[in-house]
Amino acid sequence: MSVIKNKFEGADKGSSQGLSHSIYSFLASIRFTVLLLSMIAVGSIFGTVIKQGGSAEEYLSLYSENTYRLITLLGLDDAYHSLWFYGLIMLFVVNLSLCTMGRFSRFIKDSKRRPHLPDERTLLDMEMHFEMDFKAQDEMNYPAASHEVSKAGQNRENLLGTNSEVWTRGAIMRSLEGTYRCVYKETEGAVLEKGSLSRYGVFVIHASIILILTGGFAGTMLGYKGYMVLRKGESKDQALIRGAQEKAQPLGFALKCKDFKVTFYPGGEPKDYVSTVEVIDNGRVVLEKKIRVNDPLSYKGIHVYQASYGKTPTFLFNIDGENVTLKEQDTYSKGDLLLMVVRFENTVHNFGPGVLIAYLDNGEPKTSWFLRDVERLRGKQLQGVNIRLEEIKEDLYTGLEISRDPGVWIVWTGFAMILFGLYINFFMYHRKIYVRKGSKGIIVAGTALKGRDAFKQEFAKIKGNLNGMER
Amino acid sequence: MAWNDRILGIVTLLYLFLFFIHILYFALRKEQIMKFMWVTLYVTLGLHTLGLLLRWVESYKLGLGHAPLSNFYESLIVYGWSVSIILIVMKRHLSFPIITLIASLISLFLMGYASLSPSVQRHIQPLIPALQSNWLHIHVITCFMAYASFVISFIAGLLYLVTWKGIIPPRDTLDEINYRSIIVGFPLLSAGILTGAVWAHYAWGSYWSWDPKETWSLITWIIYALYLHARLVKGWKGKKIALVSILGFLSVIFTYFGVNFILSGLHSYAT
Repeated sequence: MSVIKNKFEGADKGSSQGLSHSIYSFLASIRFTVLLLSMIAVGSIFGTVIKQGGSAEEYLSLYSENTYRLITLLGLDDAYHSLWFYGLIMLFVVNLSLCTMGRFSRFIKDSKRRPHLPDERTLLDMEMHFEMDFKAQDEMNYPAASHEVSKAGQNRENLLGTNSEVWTRGAIMRSLEGTYRCVYKETEGAVLEKGSLSRYGVFVIHASIILILTGGFAGTMLGYKGYMVLRKGESKDQALIRGAQEKAQPLGFALKCKDFKVTFYPGGEPKDYVSTVEVIDNGRVVLEKKIRVNDPLSYKGIHVYQASYGKTPTFLFNIDGENVTLKEQDTYSKGDLLLMVVRFENTVHNFGPGVLIAYLDNGEPKTSWFLRDVERLRGKQLQGVNIRLEEIKEDLYTGLEISRDPGVWIVWTGFAMILFGLYINFFMYHRKIYVRKGSKGIIVAGTALKGRDAFKQEFAKIKGNLNGMER
Repeated sequence: MAWNDRILGIVTLLYLFLFFIHILYFALRKEQIMKFMWVTLYVTLGLHTLGLLLRWVESYKLGLGHAPLSNFYESLIVYGWSVSIILIVMKRHLSFPIITLIASLISLFLMGYASLSPSVQRHIQPLIPALQSNWLHIHVITCFMAYASFVISFIAGLLYLVTWKGIIPPRDTLDEINYRSIIVGFPLLSAGILTGAVWAHYAWGSYWSWDPKETWSLITWIIYALYLHARLVKGWKGKKIALVSILGFLSVIFTYFGVNFILSGLHSYAT
């Protein structure tokens, strides 16, 4: 029907308006929704099949050079953040908004129309209807009836002048009013309904999807995701944001790792990672918390999560009788000696843990291994200075994930709304019952748009109850 | 052998027995047989629940203490359990022996695969830190109830394409069953995805990371959303819509199995 209407309007208003109108109606059409959702689905598949965020070497080891060029050209190495993916989502938001608004304005127009009582013929044509013959009503019922009706607060004069028709209708209304709400009443009859909330389901669901996407967008624009590595005792006031070039993100406060512990199950599987962290704001410790995997720290809108852990070695050297503790990349100088700790290795040619030292031999750079478990290689003389590796200690460090997401509450609201919307849309049914005086008796008829089978059963039950009341 | 293993073994045999009851029905066509089938299904579900509860209790005895929702084996058992629950929830609409027959075969496959496949770890494993959360229960249960509803939708969609007089229910009925199972499954899948997102926010710091499992659950969600719109807005009926529901279930299978075996990601503990 809408197609015919569009064609008619297009012909009436001239071709330029017709074009913009047809673009609009395409943007708002369900066909466009189907197209967009299918494209989003297919685009998402690419992202699960092709490795995301890998380095050039990684891709070239998997694909040919041409394929790799195509992958980077289409942004398939970071599909979910590529321009075309954002474009699809933006178009989807536009489409969903237009589609929903169009539907909503039609809905408002429809609901502004006063509910009316269809005529006898229409009601008798409805699939679900029955008639109650008030003329066959037993006269004996009258005393009981007058009691019933006056209890319901009806006008006594009306009662005296009435016949069984009014009584029957009143009784029908009363028996329905427990579950149904009367929305319209006239001398000939009434309209009752229930579950009218379900008609809003679609709008609630669509609005919440837009809300969730808005929240996600707000999060990407205004928030960040980074990480921080802390050794025991260390404190930092900025997170690092991953990327081709890492960026520092000041937090506005500092985190100090007081302790980090890993516990294991008897079988050796990890049981718990716990970082004890102090929040230092303006030089004062304001908060101390044990951060665990499912138990993040939140402070000033910033969340800190337990993400990983690792070990960093520290080396205790005895240099000319003096104890010196060095870490990787540390430098040390004494007299003519200038040395740097290059790297640690857990096993050096099966000889156990060792550390590689670089030093200047008369201005020329040289390296030498110090092995903890080999006595001959544990102590050496470099530039006339005696150096002995006393001990290697491995300190645990904690890897914390740090994020700020101001959009998260919008997303949560959207989540709650969509579940509510799905519930009222699929598990509440809008049902209408008409009660009308007809030529042969009182007509009771019902309509439902969804869940017709269930309504048929309910309607049969209503019929049964009313027939029981008659006797 | 732990008690939960013994009971779940009996449950597996009961699903096989349910299959034979259906065969008997098709041979004799006595309505009493189907009544007996439903009673057997209730008993099977009862024992299945007992088996899961015992596994939970036994995990406490091992000092691990967690619900049986933590690895691939347990997820298969829970999947079979969910199929039985959905059958009973939708009993009113499923008075067609061929549907319950295929459903019992699917449960049998899930239970059999769980207990026989050499690649499935069957003993109670400790819960890794990422899974130690109360969101685990609601997330896993909503997801598997959704997957189970989609099993019914899949059966209805598949039968729609087959003609076999006297065995296959009328096409309109199949269409209706398909739709009904999807309106049960779709809200459950939505709830499963959303509880997963909330949990991910508290565990990993991000409610959506485009992890393959997340992405595939979204793809599944989109396919069923398309089904609902095609049917409710466009009025699609018949073969076309049956094919959409089959496509939806293929996506469910990929979300559940495919992602674990083919793609790796945050969900690699296989639930």
